[in-house]
Amino acid sequence: MTSITLSGVNKSFGANFPVIRDVDLEIADGEFCVFLGPSGCGKSTLLRMVAGLEMAYSGQIRIGDRVVDKVEPADRQVAMVFQNYALYPHMSVYENMAFGLRQAKTPKDEIDRRVKEAARILQIEPLLDRMPKALSGGQRQRVAIGRAIVRQPKVFLFDEPLSNLDAALRVHMRSEIATLHRNFPAASMIYVTHDQTEAMALADKIVLLHAGKDMLKHGSIAQVGKPLDLYHRPRNLFVAGFLGSPTMNFIAATFIGQETAGAHVALKGGEELLVPVDGSKLAAGAPVTLGVRPEHLAPVPGPAGQTLTRKVSAVEHFGEYSFVYLDGGTPAPLIAKVPGDGGVKAGDTASYQAPADCCHLFDADGIALTQI
Amino acid sequence: MASSPATRVAGRIAVPVLGLFWLAVTTVPFLFMVMTTFKTQEESYSSSVWALPESLNFVNYADVLSGPFLTYLKNSVMVVAISVVLIVLISAMAAYAFARIRFRFNEALFGLIVAGMIVPIHITLVPIYLMTREIGLYDSPFALIGPYVATSLPISVFILTEFMRQIPKELEEAARLDGCGPFTIFFKIFFPLSGPGLSTIAIYNAIMLWNEFIFAYVLTSSTSTRTLPLAIWDYQGQYTSNIPAILAVVTLTSLPLVVAYAFGQEKIVKGMMAGSVKG
Repeated sequence: MTSITLSGVNKSFGANFPVIRDVDLEIADGEFCVFLGPSGCGKSTLLRMVAGLEMAYSGQIRIGDRVVDKVEPADRQVAMVFQNYALYPHMSVYENMAFGLRQAKTPKDEIDRRVKEAARILQIEPLLDRMPKALSGGQRQRVAIGRAIVRQPKVFLFDEPLSNLDAALRVHMRSEIATLHRNFPAASMIYVTHDQTEAMALADKIVLLHAGKDMLKHGSIAQVGKPLDLYHRPRNLFVAGFLGSPTMNFIAATFIGQETAGAHVALKGGEELLVPVDGSKLAAGAPVTLGVRPEHLAPVPGPAGQTLTRKVSAVEHFGEYSFVYLDGGTPAPLIAKVPGDGGVKAGDTASYQAPADCCHLFDADGIALTQI
Repeated sequence: MASSPATRVAGRIAVPVLGLFWLAVTTVPFLFMVMTTFKTQEESYSSSVWALPESLNFVNYADVLSGPFLTYLKNSVMVVAISVVLIVLISAMAAYAFARIRFRFNEALFGLIVAGMIVPIHITLVPIYLMTREIGLYDSPFALIGPYVATSLPISVFILTEFMRQIPKELEEAARLDGCGPFTIFFKIFFPLSGPGLSTIAIYNAIMLWNEFIFAYVLTSSTSTRTLPLAIWDYQGQYTSNIPAILAVVTLTSLPLVVAYAFGQEKIVKGMMAGSVKG
């Protein structure tokens, strides 16, 4: 059993600086869980609490069947890969990987076997005699992962392991970490990142964390679920706005009434749209926010049902697709992600269809209305 | 503010000129000292002080080396070596605690130790002399080790604490995950990684203690227990001094330091800047 359970976990730095609030979380055996959130949301702190490098102010952390709140980091059967690699600069690659095993008094031939096996998996065998300073960023990250592998942990912890690498190497290492997860199916993995692409690509489960006032108001966890669940069924405005690039369009609207097919809303621009959600608890005239992702806005020849017609303020071309910026978003301009060059230019008036099943509706508190 | 071309030219000339001037100020006495060691005592009185020696005369060196010089040398090496080892070990452990362990009086204690740098050693002479007599160490080279270590610790702890604060916290955390306790982290991670800082401390203190005069003068009195800085007393009589022999003693005494500085100059300079320049 390598499941990880956090129950009622809270953490403050001093009396007045809460960083983690009311975290209840279950990470299943062998699951790849990503802690995602903006800077300062406490995702690294939460990871470090699982590692034993930070103590929880209250609550309980279990790894498997064991409560580990008072267990030393080395005895939790976890291994951690740090953002800046944290390789011991005065030891060779081999010594770096063997160090933890030597501390655990593992027999010499067993250490040798495990280090060489990890080096083979990570293709760093020729580097074993080198010192860390003689390695590239990608090689150092591999060694850091190798140091984690040799310990044969029940839980792998990754603290933003790719953020110091360049874009191309990041994509490559991301696929290597996915491979690592397949090679060690029994081990659970927790991965911290602020990069939603990494989270979407790697996670079995994403834990999206609030920061600042949202954390104080709603607790640390914004939403937990499979990546596509968070993408298609965000629980609130924060989740909807955090996932997706460019971010989801938000438009101020007024609730008109509930029909069988969904809620009827009027936008500030005058259009009326149907959103397949349950708005029966809302009063007519209640302020709501319509959300629709840029990639779901499809260009149409002119105003029709379920369309937005706006003045084009700018167009950005990326070859395969373009971003068309439209007036009238809340607070940022609306963006439509359209194929090719978009067929419009700044100053034009253009219409885009927002398919009903791609629209989201949020009440005045920013909570998503249930989809029907 | 951009400097004018005239200012830049003046700067380009003034800096080397001042450098050469300072080189002369520091090297001329040294050259004078070495030159004089090759003169006989009579020659040093009869000729001009700036006159070159008539021949390369090693009689002063032979004279010095046939006396108790080697005993002084042995005492100096022993006292400095033991003191430096203790200073490095104690200051490294203290610096690790101040740099990395959070405890209630961390800042206050660090401030107190660093404040020790402003205490003039002369006001401690009498109490230390009395204590040394009391514990029966008076007139032993070992009497010097305690005061040497104590007076060297403030600057050493200060420099090393700054040094250890620069070592990434993640290395310590990685070591904790690898199963290390505080002592293993100190000896296997921080101590080796502080190598440049430790050698700075070692070289700096070795130089200071090698030249130390006042404690050696107060706490030792016999020829068999004295250290090198006191050796010149053997060549100073009531009515006359053997100046070439005294300068030969000084030359031989300073020789190890000149060699040490030649090899460790970079580390000494770096250590001196460690406290004031961050990063």
